[in-house]
Amino acid sequence: MAEKIGVYFDKSSLEPYLDLESISEKTRNKWSDSCKVVRIVDQLASEEGRSTLQQDIDAGEVDGVSICGTSPRKDQEFFNFGPNVSVDRVNLRELCIWAYKHPDGSVPGDKEQPEYLQQMVQDYVNMSVNKLQRSEVPEREGMETVKRVLVIGGGWAGINAALSTARAGYDVVLVEKQNQLGGHAAQMYKTFPLKPPYTQAQDIGLQERIDAVNSHKKITVYTGSTLESVEGQPGDFTATIQSGSDQQQESVGSIVVATGWEEQDTSYLEPMGYGKYKNVVTTWQLEQMAQKGEIVRPSDGAKPQSVAFVLGFSHVMDDFARQEEEEKARKEQERQQQQENEEEEGIEEPFQKTESYRHLPYTTELTTMTALKQARYIRESNQSAVSYMIYEHMTAAGLNEHYYKAAQDDSGIMLTKGVVSSVEQGSQDNVVLGVDENLLGEPLEIEADLLVLPTGLVPTTALDPVVQLAYRQGTAFPELELFDGFADSNYICFPYETRRTGVYSAGCVHQPMSLAKSERDAQGAALKAIQCVESVNQGVSVHPRSGDLTYPKFNFVRCTQCRRCTIECPFGALEEDADGTPKPNIARCRRCGTCMGCCPERVIYFDNYSVGQIGAMISSIDVPEEMEEGGPRILILACENDAYPALDMAAQQGKKWSPYVRIIPVRCLGSVNTIWVADAMSKGNDGCLLLGCKYGDDYQCHFMKGSELCQSRMQNIGETLDKLGIETERVRQEEAAIDDYQRIPQIIDNFVDEIFNLGPNPFKGF
Amino acid sequence: MTTANRIKPDLGFIQDLQDVGGLDLTKCYQCATCSVVCPISPMDKPFPRKEMIWAQWGLKDKLVQDVDMWLCHKCGYCSEMCPRGAKPGELMAALRNMAYQNLAGPKFLGRWMSSAKHLPKLIAIPAVIFLIVWLITGSIHDTPFPLIHGEIEFGLIFPGELTIDPIFGLAALFVLYTFYRGIRTMAQTFDQQPRTFVVGYNRPQSIWVSLWQVIKEEVVTHKKWKDCGSEETEETKFKGHLFTFYSFVALFIVTSIVAVTHWGGKVFDFLHMPYPMALWNPVKILANLGAIGLVIGLVYLTKRRLNAVQRDGSSFYDWYLLGTIWVVTLTGILSEIFRIVHVAGLAYIVYYLHLISVFMLIAYLPWSKLGHLVYRVVALAHARRLGRVSTEIQTDQKDTLYVL
Repeated sequence: MAEKIGVYFDKSSLEPYLDLESISEKTRNKWSDSCKVVRIVDQLASEEGRSTLQQDIDAGEVDGVSICGTSPRKDQEFFNFGPNVSVDRVNLRELCIWAYKHPDGSVPGDKEQPEYLQQMVQDYVNMSVNKLQRSEVPEREGMETVKRVLVIGGGWAGINAALSTARAGYDVVLVEKQNQLGGHAAQMYKTFPLKPPYTQAQDIGLQERIDAVNSHKKITVYTGSTLESVEGQPGDFTATIQSGSDQQQESVGSIVVATGWEEQDTSYLEPMGYGKYKNVVTTWQLEQMAQKGEIVRPSDGAKPQSVAFVLGFSHVMDDFARQEEEEKARKEQERQQQQENEEEEGIEEPFQKTESYRHLPYTTELTTMTALKQARYIRESNQSAVSYMIYEHMTAAGLNEHYYKAAQDDSGIMLTKGVVSSVEQGSQDNVVLGVDENLLGEPLEIEADLLVLPTGLVPTTALDPVVQLAYRQGTAFPELELFDGFADSNYICFPYETRRTGVYSAGCVHQPMSLAKSERDAQGAALKAIQCVESVNQGVSVHPRSGDLTYPKFNFVRCTQCRRCTIECPFGALEEDADGTPKPNIARCRRCGTCMGCCPERVIYFDNYSVGQIGAMISSIDVPEEMEEGGPRILILACENDAYPALDMAAQQGKKWSPYVRIIPVRCLGSVNTIWVADAMSKGNDGCLLLGCKYGDDYQCHFMKGSELCQSRMQNIGETLDKLGIETERVRQEEAAIDDYQRIPQIIDNFVDEIFNLGPNPFKGF
Repeated sequence: MTTANRIKPDLGFIQDLQDVGGLDLTKCYQCATCSVVCPISPMDKPFPRKEMIWAQWGLKDKLVQDVDMWLCHKCGYCSEMCPRGAKPGELMAALRNMAYQNLAGPKFLGRWMSSAKHLPKLIAIPAVIFLIVWLITGSIHDTPFPLIHGEIEFGLIFPGELTIDPIFGLAALFVLYTFYRGIRTMAQTFDQQPRTFVVGYNRPQSIWVSLWQVIKEEVVTHKKWKDCGSEETEETKFKGHLFTFYSFVALFIVTSIVAVTHWGGKVFDFLHMPYPMALWNPVKILANLGAIGLVIGLVYLTKRRLNAVQRDGSSFYDWYLLGTIWVVTLTGILSEIFRIVHVAGLAYIVYYLHLISVFMLIAYLPWSKLGHLVYRVVALAHARRLGRVSTEIQTDQKDTLYVL
């Protein structure tokens, strides 16, 4: 806790709009006990400026510094004074000076030092002192961790993940349920090309990799084994592995899930004649035939002279789509009824299978490339044979275009976009396709010896709780229905993240992908697994607050075992004992503060971020007694991942907004405790605006649920405010992404206008 | 609703098309850039996009019946703009080459004319015929290079009445008969085309009216040929063909006058004309102008062809025709020069070569690229009758509805 606080003003970024002498004087007077040093420095972000601060620190005059000048997103390298000094950056340049406009909308002149700006700056300086007084310097508490990585699944992705991890110098435990490694790759004849010139299908090279795995001394392989359970937390997991009747336990630090895919249920192919006609097979069946050495017709074992590959038939999927919509609606209704019947909210999320017709279109790229490859199998084994391809989308992305071109060059491969309107039995068990809307300009009939339909990939996580986590919140990844069962991430920038810290996905369980992409994916996931065990070892957060030393602490004396935190934690970080007292698992935690935000007793805090601290900052806003004279005061709580940088960027681009707002960054809207809003309103603030990420199915929240949970809390507080006679419109949550900097000043100004329409807070002056 | 057409790809036909110039047809991915950039393609079912996929699918029946192959004048703009290097222009040319090969028999001639490897046989036929003539006449004159009054006269070795005229006369009859059969085959395929409702065209006119319009508006003016293509290539292509075409017309007139005066002179005395003609004779002047025009036209066309080689490649058909006309022209001019300067040995040899090349130009005409002289005109007349004309002409049409 900082007791001797130094406040430093950066002349270079604040003059001439501020009367720094007067502000310094006021600060000195207000904080005469705690602020021993108040200085105006020519340029803080320089070696000289830094050494001025360092001298004060070395002389023992200050143990907390408030840097009043540029945005905390600038010049970060200058303001680190070691583990014993708390630092707070007060964003006076961007959020005060640059964003300032008079209440009437005009912009101040060059020499002008507006009164509203001085008030605003004074508020921010006071907030900073209050904040530093309630900040601890977090201590580094490294854990003894197991630096061994568990790879679940010994297919192509798993093998590559294991090799990448082991080659980086880390031990690996590889678990494969089959008796040999290789997974689906072992049943394939060839793959479409992995190397230049990308024109010829090639051997996968699987055996070479399996040998490398088996001979690597850092890799322990369990074949014919299943994962029974995973207990603990990153850096300290215990995996129970069942091999036949034996059960073994392995300590691991992090996990790569590479459990791959299953064939989609063939009932989705029935409208195309599968199961009805003998000579209709799937690409996966054809691949296995090719691997065994001969592609033949199921009806008579003859080599086909003409093979039709149909890629995509979305027009016959409408029925499935309708059925699945109805099913979804029915389940939702059931769930709601159940919720009404049960008083207590369930913590454990039951696993739900999510196999869908949509897995077929998701696999389009692979089915396209596979059909091109197999069309060439047919031609290579028989030069007089013809392969037809009727496609909905020719999805040959990137370098795969070369392979598509190579297939085109074979004059025995006939390609057309088209809609297959009928599938009928021809003579000699042939299949006759009606093809409409094709490139030949008139309806066609194609008679083929064999019809090949695409195989959709269904991720194993859609069918089974693969990870088997012994977590209070459930054994599987939560809410995978958002990704139709794929263990995918909602971030394009953090593709390997799952909703469980320390567990990363790779290969086709992650997304449908080629062997080439799968190999890269495995490398990426392996690096994440390594980063995880190393971060946990150093006692810092892995993601997305990488390197954060703080973690939630619990004052258990006041805990009422309400289980709110266990329910709301988006990452399953909390277990609970028999009474319901939460048991934190720090290494599972992502430090968003959602638990802190939800706790009605406010027992949860971080060293440098707590309910009391932000509450004190809110209290330091000087609210004028009469709105007509000094204007309203509006508190903005801004998510520091998106909304706060967006505000910064808006100011940098010369955008201005009302001078009546005071902005406080928060880790995530999920960490916003309703008491802050209640406090702000009871202190006479006229409104409170929460700026956070988009929520819902396509959420952008870095902590998945934060902004959504905040929204429901604000609905609850709305009822309370209503009872007190405060209009619920005074509290509002708005969605703002990092690229919303053009829009964000307008959001603020519109809200300020509405507050003017509502008039002053009725609580003002009490 | 149209009934579905059961298709049957012909892999051999694809290979044949590739052999006669459509090598890159497999590269097409049906973006239709070709049909969009083509300045003379009609609005309805434009070429050459549809021909590309028919070719890829080996739909022989559709392609051999396709009148559109003759509407294309092969400026090569589509090939230039094609994003995949599929060279649609080359395919259209290949289709025409296939037509020269297959529209009329005898089959072996069509086959011989499709590839350079048969060239020796094609040369050998006239070479042997005229060599036999030369051996006989040479032995009569006791010298292979006889003179009369100290002057060279080619008629001594290759007498017109007994050798040249019967040989070329028979060849011409053979060619005319072949064209008759070829046109009949074409007409049958035209008749097999489905009838459609068409909006916005005039009532179908007779084939003779259409033919007259084609000759008047297209052949004489070379209008479509000028419209066709990107601006840079237009000039050389247009001038080259125009010079060559009118030079041939001039030489045709000269030949006709010579034939009429020679044979007519036997009946009507006033038609008689001395031979060889004097240099100031208007007919001789026309002939020499024709020869000069041919050289100019050939220079232009050769220049363009050499550019085209770099861009699209060229088929044997292109080189056969160009090469033959060059040889005809150069040997024609050189025989005249050698005759005038009295170099008997060279003059007779060059004239012998001239006869061979003229034979190769005329007797093989229906199977060579020059066959377009007849086939294209017929097809254009048919297309005009159907109202299948380029967008520019269509926009003038009134809104009338009728059934073709």
